[in-house]
Amino acid sequence: MRIHLPALDHPRMDPGQARYAVEVNGHLGVTALSAFPAMVAQCRGPRTVLVGLLDQSALYGVVAQLEALGLELLEIRRLTLDGVAEPDDGCLP
Amino acid sequence: MVAPATTGLIDREDLLAALDRAAASKVTVISAPAGSGKTSLLRAWADRRGSLAVVQVNRDEHDAQAFWVAVLGAVRRAAAPTGRAEPPVATPEFNARAMVDRVCSELADAGGVTLVIDDLHELNSPEALAQLSGLLTTLPPGVHAILATRRDLRLGLHRLRLAGELAEVRAADLRFTEPETRRLLDAAGIRLSEAGIADLQQRTEGWAAGLRLAVISLLGHPDPERFVAAFSGTDRTVAEYLLAEMLERQSYEVQRLLLRTSLLDRVNGELADLLTGRPGNERILLNLEEANAFVVSLDPDRTWFRYHHLVGDFLRLELRRTLPEEVPTLHRRAAGWFSEHGRVVDAIQHSQAAGDWSTAARLLADHSFGLTLDGQAQTIQALLEAFPPDAWTDSSELAVAHATIDVALGRLDKAAGYLTVAEAHIETTPPDRRRRLRVAVASLKLSLARRRGSVAGVLEQVEFLTSPVTGQPEEDIGRDSDLRAVALMNLGTIEAWSLATPDAERHLLEGAALARENGRPYIEVACLAQLGFASKIRSFATTRRRCQEALALAERYGWGAETILAPALLTLAGVATWMGDFDDGERWLQHTAQALGSDTGPGISLLLHIGTGMVRSGRGRLPEALEEFGAAERLRSQLVGSHALASQVTGWLLATQARLGLTGEARAALTTLDDERASSGEVRNARAAISLADGDPAAALAVVRDVIEGRAPVTGYITIVEAHLLGGRAHRQLGNQRAANQAAESALSLAEPDRVVLPFVMTGAAELLESLPRHETAHAALLRDILDAAHGASLPAEDHPSSAVDGLSPTELKVLRYLPTNLSRPEIAGELSVSVNTVNTHVRNIYAKLQARDRSAAVERARQLGLLGAGRAR
Repeated sequence: MRIHLPALDHPRMDPGQARYAVEVNGHLGVTALSAFPAMVAQCRGPRTVLVGLLDQSALYGVVAQLEALGLELLEIRRLTLDGVAEPDDGCLP
Repeated sequence: MVAPATTGLIDREDLLAALDRAAASKVTVISAPAGSGKTSLLRAWADRRGSLAVVQVNRDEHDAQAFWVAVLGAVRRAAAPTGRAEPPVATPEFNARAMVDRVCSELADAGGVTLVIDDLHELNSPEALAQLSGLLTTLPPGVHAILATRRDLRLGLHRLRLAGELAEVRAADLRFTEPETRRLLDAAGIRLSEAGIADLQQRTEGWAAGLRLAVISLLGHPDPERFVAAFSGTDRTVAEYLLAEMLERQSYEVQRLLLRTSLLDRVNGELADLLTGRPGNERILLNLEEANAFVVSLDPDRTWFRYHHLVGDFLRLELRRTLPEEVPTLHRRAAGWFSEHGRVVDAIQHSQAAGDWSTAARLLADHSFGLTLDGQAQTIQALLEAFPPDAWTDSSELAVAHATIDVALGRLDKAAGYLTVAEAHIETTPPDRRRRLRVAVASLKLSLARRRGSVAGVLEQVEFLTSPVTGQPEEDIGRDSDLRAVALMNLGTIEAWSLATPDAERHLLEGAALARENGRPYIEVACLAQLGFASKIRSFATTRRRCQEALALAERYGWGAETILAPALLTLAGVATWMGDFDDGERWLQHTAQALGSDTGPGISLLLHIGTGMVRSGRGRLPEALEEFGAAERLRSQLVGSHALASQVTGWLLATQARLGLTGEARAALTTLDDERASSGEVRNARAAISLADGDPAAALAVVRDVIEGRAPVTGYITIVEAHLLGGRAHRQLGNQRAANQAAESALSLAEPDRVVLPFVMTGAAELLESLPRHETAHAALLRDILDAAHGASLPAEDHPSSAVDGLSPTELKVLRYLPTNLSRPEIAGELSVSVNTVNTHVRNIYAKLQARDRSAAVERARQLGLLGAGRAR
């Protein structure tokens, strides 16, 4: 049985929140959207992009929720604050 | 038991054949997203296979022990298809390594079993996953494992992959092809055009859950073609579209049932009636299962059901979205039902989910003792962590629960801290709760006192707890009799170790009987293991029998290296060492060291040092013996209160110093002893040993005379044996050979019933015995054994190649001793309370190790090696 409660102490909590865009295949209805209260959904053609301000554990929570609902994950991007995807500089040493 | 595949599923021959091929590898991993048809495939495949051990991992399983108990239970059921398998039981002290070894050996015994683990992604215990990796890389020959998981897990199987021993089935392999889709629809009696079938297959991409949901909606649909067209024409996600369709097409009653019970991990008719407020739900659940509508029964009687995870998750979201105000009420009702039906953990979780923190805290305080006995300390820990910080303010309830697991896990100081908090707040708790909390606190203080060896602390709490139960609600009695069984165990233990009273046996027997009555095998085993130690003062045969009983009972429940067995293991080590079987003694000591976890009370470590010191003395390695006795003496001084073997430790320590020529140190230590200890028989013997080492036999004689004539308190008759021998040595030094012979013969007569050898070796009596004329003794055989031991042999073995004997495990030795009898293998199995398979494995190993082809050859070889003591009661 899963009951999500705020954890009491995170020894190494990452304080950094960032805006993420999570793209899945298909359009989500009200029921599926209710699983992502922290995200805003936009349709892009046959796909849905969920955008929200998340820290790392919330992001993994979103991924776990997608898995549980049998949704097909296509892409995850971190956005700059104005909603644009961060430039890809390749791999810097 | 795997339920048979339900109707409406098609046999996917190609896939099953692929699984058959994969089963040639050691390990098969089926890794695919939710709803890919992993479980259905496993079920269909199970129908075609022989013996399968199927484990369904519980949702969000954090408890490594619960997982392994489930694995071992499945293996046992697979090994005994007749259904007479003893289910393993969790214990408060989980020994993972021993458990994995046991699973491995029972898998080997069962022969050719396939271990199937479904929903492995739900196992959220890194320890359990690491242990499982270990098992998978060392699977016995002929054993195969199949794991089903939603996502790839870090199992460290690269070595298997490199060796070509890993087969993988992935999402793409599980997709339904167009012909399979057609057969699925045909089987359900749904008529659809070729184009419709192709659309459906493409739209779902062959995803099993999608097709099954579509089938449910298509059944009885007035226009199947229109349904498929509408479905193909939408961009909605497959899962949500079809789930919503399915739900919408159900009757109001079914919808009500599905939504309101979606909060439960498992549901039965009664619970469903309670949550929906209507009768008749069991029939609906059965119908849904028969219609293959994502409802799975969990037991052969089909009383408990669960929803397919994907469906359950969707239904829960739908419930929270459409009926948010009902959610706490539903949790509260479920909590009430679970609480009434003794499913405490479920009750606590639902109370927490309803936000009823104080109810949850009470339940946890009331049941943490029983849950700990059931080996659920980890679960309690997780439940405690789920309380919000403000639930902790001045709560005796949570402090009691915390102290309970701290005691169980050996965090004694922490436990004491929580008990202080609990006591401080008892007065402010409601009056109806006070007595209950006081009882809980008292029983925890008792366990704490026992672990610390504090006699006074134990006696104080026992008085409070063992008073008869009167005038309290019915439900208290069962719980309090658990408390009483544990109280008796703690009391008996303290009496055996600290006070050496005969009451110890009575209390431990009573505790064991009560525990058996309450169905608490863990406490029963604990009492029996202590009983072996408590009866050490009686005959070795009784002692051995009791220790073996404790071990056999533990074996039956799938334990074997638990800390509770340590007293029995140590006692067996002691008995073997007393009888001069130093190899066996050492083996039992090693076994004990394995069984002792990291945290052990000073009491048990003290015994371990004494036992090791005895073996070292027996082997004539005196400096090492001195070190062990010294360590034991230091531990003894840390114990609160006295210890049954206190004077024994001191006596042996001083006598060993004397034999090493350190008489100055020994004499200095003598002056520091209080009168009580100094006047004990054991210390008097040490004094005699010092006098002998200093060349003063007359003084030695004077000292041991009091011991021999019964004027000094002694731990047991062995002290008198020692006194005779020291006296005999003194007589020899004084040139009185006749008196020396008489003393030696007196010692032999006392030692004969138990065939005790060690005191002769420890007192350096070899010369004394060698000068005893053979026609003057009635104990020639024992005498010969003693001299062998004194010259470095381990009895009963005589100059055998150590490899074979070292190679035989204690259990194999036990089986070996039945081989000269005319008992059949099933009868031997009955004698030892193990399965015939286990006996067969042991016999195979014995033959291999003794290089014997059959039973009589094995017996002959064992006799040559001295593994079957001649006429020795073993």
